[in-house]
Amino acid sequence: MSFVLRAGERGYNKLQSTGPLASYISGHPEAVLTRHSSFNFGPYQAGRAGFGRLRVFGDEVFSGPGCGYNIHRHHNFIICAFVFQGELTHINTVGNIDQLTSGDYYVFSAGSGGKHCEVNVKNDDMHAIYMWFLPDQLLLPPSYRRNHFDALANRNQLVMLVGNADGALRLSQDVTVSRLSSDTAMALDYVPRSASHGVYVFVLEGDVQCDDVALARRDSSGIWGAERINLRTGPQETDLMIVETAP
Amino acid sequence: MSENLKRYICLGCGFLYDEALGLPEHGIAPGTRWADIPENWACPDCFTPKHLFQMVEIPYAAGEPHPPRVGPFVAPPEPALRVI
Repeated sequence: MSFVLRAGERGYNKLQSTGPLASYISGHPEAVLTRHSSFNFGPYQAGRAGFGRLRVFGDEVFSGPGCGYNIHRHHNFIICAFVFQGELTHINTVGNIDQLTSGDYYVFSAGSGGKHCEVNVKNDDMHAIYMWFLPDQLLLPPSYRRNHFDALANRNQLVMLVGNADGALRLSQDVTVSRLSSDTAMALDYVPRSASHGVYVFVLEGDVQCDDVALARRDSSGIWGAERINLRTGPQETDLMIVETAP
Repeated sequence: MSENLKRYICLGCGFLYDEALGLPEHGIAPGTRWADIPENWACPDCFTPKHLFQMVEIPYAAGEPHPPRVGPFVAPPEPALRVI
């Protein structure tokens, strides 16, 4: 079922590196991790279960040097991180130690088992969106790939970051992630691969008219059954993430 | 029989419970139905409670599942007594 989720309606968790979460959240003593969840995750269970193959959509800020998630194990989920501000250090047991800054993103497929650590080693806040997708096969070999979105070179163009497109990172699921970074009033029609695919539109910055719904900063909408979705941005800086998924 | 056996994924970390395989290393025999696992059971990896697992109908990747690496303990054969 289609829905509109306003920024303030999302789940909100403030996770501190002190107390019961000290083994999970790094950066003791002053680190604080905030997470706005579009879908049920962890302590937030009062919302929607997910959207198609998308299970987690976390809008997260790591504050305080050393803040993040200590190394911990996953299976199966395909975890993507898109960095918008600050620097994220990602360590995984595939064998990667990576540092990602604004525009960088990765796809970590935990498959048959992989651990990762997400940490902000800098004094400035790190802002990223984490997405988790169910895979199309269980226990795939774990993998990690990363890429960069050049906001300047791709200004005012809808760019596929994840999916079967040149320059995009592929993953083992019928999903795509696209981004539009604009600084002028634009109108475009987003056409899903089929009427059975769902489209989740998330406004990172700016104001967006999504068909007949006005979406402000951090508002989002999940849409099923549309042949096309009309998106209009204002003249100001606008940043938009679009996830398309099989049911 | 295996057609009716289901798979459940932990929504906290992705840990998989397959009814056909059970979790012998955690004392759950192969063939144990999800409904027969106690409600207070939690994910062995991340402690997410049982009710936050989701049933999935997703096939295994080629070559999976491997036989469990940690099986029931089997005592090695006694070394033969050698009289020198």
